[in-house]
Amino acid sequence: MITIQNVSKSFRGNLAVKNLNLEIAKGEILGLLGANGAGKSTTINMLLGFLKPDTGSITVKGIDASNKSDEARQLIGYIPENVNLYPYLTGIENLNYFCQLGGLSYSKSELTDMLTKCGLESEAHHKKVSDFSKGMRQKVGIAIAYAKKAEVYLLDEPASGLDPLASNELSELLKKLANEGAAILMASHDLFRVREVCHKIGILKKGSLVKELLTEEVTANELEQLYLDFMKN
Amino acid sequence: MWTIIKNEGNFLRRNKILLLLSLGFVLILITSLLMGNKQVQQQSLSYETAKEHIRGQWESIKEMNPHSAAHYGTYVFKPSNLLSSLDEGVNSVTGNVLRVEGHVQNEIVHSEASQMEVVSKFGKLKSALLLQYIVPLLLIFLAFHTVSSEKQSGRLKLLILQGAKPFSLVIAKTMAVWLYGIALLVLVIIVYAILNLESITGEIVTRTFLFFLSYATYYFILTGLAVFFSVRWQNATVALTSMLGIWILWTIFIPNIMMSSVEKWHPLPSRAEFKAAMTEDRSKGIDGHNPSDERGKELKEKVLKKYKVDSISQLPINFDGIRMQADEDYGNIVWDKHFGNLRDVQAQQKASFQLGGILNPFISLQNTSKGFAGNDNLHHQEFLLQVEKYRRVLIKQLNDEHAYGGSKSGDWGWKADNTFFKSIADFKYQPIALKTVFSGYLIDVMLLLLWALFILFLLYRGAKKIQVV
Repeated sequence: MITIQNVSKSFRGNLAVKNLNLEIAKGEILGLLGANGAGKSTTINMLLGFLKPDTGSITVKGIDASNKSDEARQLIGYIPENVNLYPYLTGIENLNYFCQLGGLSYSKSELTDMLTKCGLESEAHHKKVSDFSKGMRQKVGIAIAYAKKAEVYLLDEPASGLDPLASNELSELLKKLANEGAAILMASHDLFRVREVCHKIGILKKGSLVKELLTEEVTANELEQLYLDFMKN
Repeated sequence: MWTIIKNEGNFLRRNKILLLLSLGFVLILITSLLMGNKQVQQQSLSYETAKEHIRGQWESIKEMNPHSAAHYGTYVFKPSNLLSSLDEGVNSVTGNVLRVEGHVQNEIVHSEASQMEVVSKFGKLKSALLLQYIVPLLLIFLAFHTVSSEKQSGRLKLLILQGAKPFSLVIAKTMAVWLYGIALLVLVIIVYAILNLESITGEIVTRTFLFFLSYATYYFILTGLAVFFSVRWQNATVALTSMLGIWILWTIFIPNIMMSSVEKWHPLPSRAEFKAAMTEDRSKGIDGHNPSDERGKELKEKVLKKYKVDSISQLPINFDGIRMQADEDYGNIVWDKHFGNLRDVQAQQKASFQLGGILNPFISLQNTSKGFAGNDNLHHQEFLLQVEKYRRVLIKQLNDEHAYGGSKSGDWGWKADNTFFKSIADFKYQPIALKTVFSGYLIDVMLLLLWALFILFLLYRGAKKIQVV
């Protein structure tokens, strides 16, 4: 579903992503680990078509994400670290607005269903988003992508700042989406969450993919050690 | 695009501070309109009363020597315009009463400003002041962060990812703020229409519509530019500072610099120079009250020859009336020459000032606003011209009566009767045709439209180069 081949990107001579190769299949979750500045967000921005790679190619379900970004974006749902919604709108109004932008029209009950499916409690649906916690906003963010019938989910540090309960709910939700056939790329610092949710893990260091492994190959402790070793060397 | 406009509308509607601010502003706007309207109504009433009083005085002259009546003269009042409650233009400083008499062309007096105790740089609280200075400020404050806030919050990525096109987004943001300005404008016009429902004519509707279009275009220019800065700069503070800088340049500096420059490019003579030149030219003509005047003697010979007599006493008419009219005719030529030159220079000044609209659309707005409201210098000069035409007809009628009404030369005690004085028509101001007004401000209208197109182009370029990450 997502194919990244030999992609490099630099900013004013500084290499942000170096010869990156990644493949995420349908129903698969890939966790991209790395320190700040490792190239995780740059990779996501290239997938979103907001940045063009200097070399290599990126495709989403076979569509060139750089040259046919509008087409590719229709398949992508994006959940940033902070889902900033419109604070003066309610949860359901935000979802409706973002759906309408994409030309999608849902009834009130359909919108309610989607918010519920994404874990937002029904009493929060009609509350203004200004009163929402970060986790609640993230659920609306996922509902926006879900309503769009996104086949690819890109998450940039989704668990950062979430309490354990909200973080756990997020993990469950992502697993559910993958089970429904979505391909998910999750950039994160949170090794344990990545180990728990993802099928595959990639470790980025200074723009290069230094390690790619299957989650089942390592325990949480081994992953932590591996990560620390890569970061130290 | 409509979805985004509706969402921006939600923001405006649900923002309590903005709602309170808007409500307060609407109250001030309506108050200013009510005050302006009341003043216009009072002025109209005073105008009618004074006009009737003066006409009554004229018609009650039982018998009087026509030339004495020419010196006695009459007064003409500048009618107040219904649209003055929207924009009083130059009216508060030009005066509205003019004494009409023989031998001299008086200046208009009794301006509102000359009777004010306190003079403010911005004048009194009038709708035009709010519409030209305060509404644009509100629009700037609403527009400067519209796109930058989306960028800073990271929502822009989400909006584009959801299918919003950058140009549609930028245009929708502009339209939403612009519609807020239009709502205020429409409110002013509706209140104005309700207050003047009985007096509204087709011409007033057209003038108000053109007035509305000028403001609507200017608001689009200003809002679009603020949104462009919001697109261009990541930092909202920079966008606001830039926009406020432009607002100050447009409303304070450039108009003043333009006015000073235009006065230098097309200088008007000083009052003393102008009067001296008029007096000098006037002295070359006939002195209507001096029989021994050389040019008067030439005229006498001509008249004696025409009537085939040897002396004035043999004339069947009163030569004094002919001599005084000849004096008037010469005076009129001198007036036409000097005031014609003055008007030519003023026209050049106006044309140059209008070109200032290339740099500053606020200049074009001010011109069209007072022009379409009928309170600009064009309308004022037209009033003065019509008064002068009336003065000439009036004085000629009086001199002709003196000459041919039945008296003999030197008979200064002869009097015309009441029927004669009643037969002289009162002054009636004919408003300028709207077509003439429109052609006088065509350049301003064109410049406003060109600015609007330029802003559209800027928004298009800005949207194309919008930085999402």
